[in-house]
Amino acid sequence: MDYSNLRRQAASMKRGLFDQGYLDEQFRQVEDLQDEASPNFVEEVVVLFFKDSAKLMSNLEQALEKYPRDFNRWDAYMQQLKGSCSSIGASRMKIECLSFRDNCGQGNVEGCMGSLQKLKREHALLRQKLESYFQLLRQAGPAGAATRPVM
Amino acid sequence: MAAAAPALSLAPMATTVTAAAAQKAASPKAAAGGDVRKVVPVMAAAADEVVVQELHVLAVDDSVVDRAVIAKILRSSKYRVTTVESATRALELLGLGLITNVNMIITDYWMPGMTGYELLKRVKESSELKEIPVVIMSSENVPNRINRCLEEGAEDFLLKPVRPSDVSRLCSRIR
Repeated sequence: MDYSNLRRQAASMKRGLFDQGYLDEQFRQVEDLQDEASPNFVEEVVVLFFKDSAKLMSNLEQALEKYPRDFNRWDAYMQQLKGSCSSIGASRMKIECLSFRDNCGQGNVEGCMGSLQKLKREHALLRQKLESYFQLLRQAGPAGAATRPVM
Repeated sequence: MAAAAPALSLAPMATTVTAAAAQKAASPKAAAGGDVRKVVPVMAAAADEVVVQELHVLAVDDSVVDRAVIAKILRSSKYRVTTVESATRALELLGLGLITNVNMIITDYWMPGMTGYELLKRVKESSELKEIPVVIMSSENVPNRINRCLEEGAEDFLLKPVRPSDVSRLCSRIR
């Protein structure tokens, strides 16, 4: 098995995620925290993020139904979500969060609904891409997983 | 604030002091009641021995992702970290003496229930806790908010997302 080739592929995949705006600089900050004491830190935080954000989006969806036009409440949920996205560098998701908050500010219910749908799509996309990325890293071998990710 | 406290170095160093000596020097009242101690002084246990205890940071944030990140940043700098998900819980655990020897509190500003600002006020109002430096984190850059926190006695205000360089800058400033 050509590990160096796999690692190159992983690096290329990751570069793509940055180039296409899925991830921003904050993701690199999180990667830099990974070390021998926490060799899987990045993946663990990412998994945590996707679970947490899925729950937040679900809560928000319920709130949209249960509290119609309660823009303050909706905005509060989204602020939490935006914070998480920001913390791991989920850039496209963060943009949709901002768009949702704008719509709240304008009292635009349709706009809010639309933003949330887009956010869910971005969530699913990023999740799939990062899962592929981590899988590739794992295949690239113990050296690939334990050391600082290539880039 | 920090000037009134005993000389403190937040630069983490390995500790070689015995548990008994540390206990005695760091928390004279601990035996009596287990209340939260303030900053841990640099101790000269013997003529040729200067030791500093590992510093303990209490991190408060309702976001599970942010807790994971801030804890890692702090642990990578060799701090001992306790994370709590709410200000109310933090105060509760501090009050019960279940969290002790806290050298710094770092808290998110906006949290459901009690905010970080309110936590800051409570800490500064408490005779046992007021010496503990409190740092506020927020994802929003609101000058009024920042000023209010600093006026209330916050040690510093960090913008989220927090980076390791923010934390080390902060810790190197507290001397």
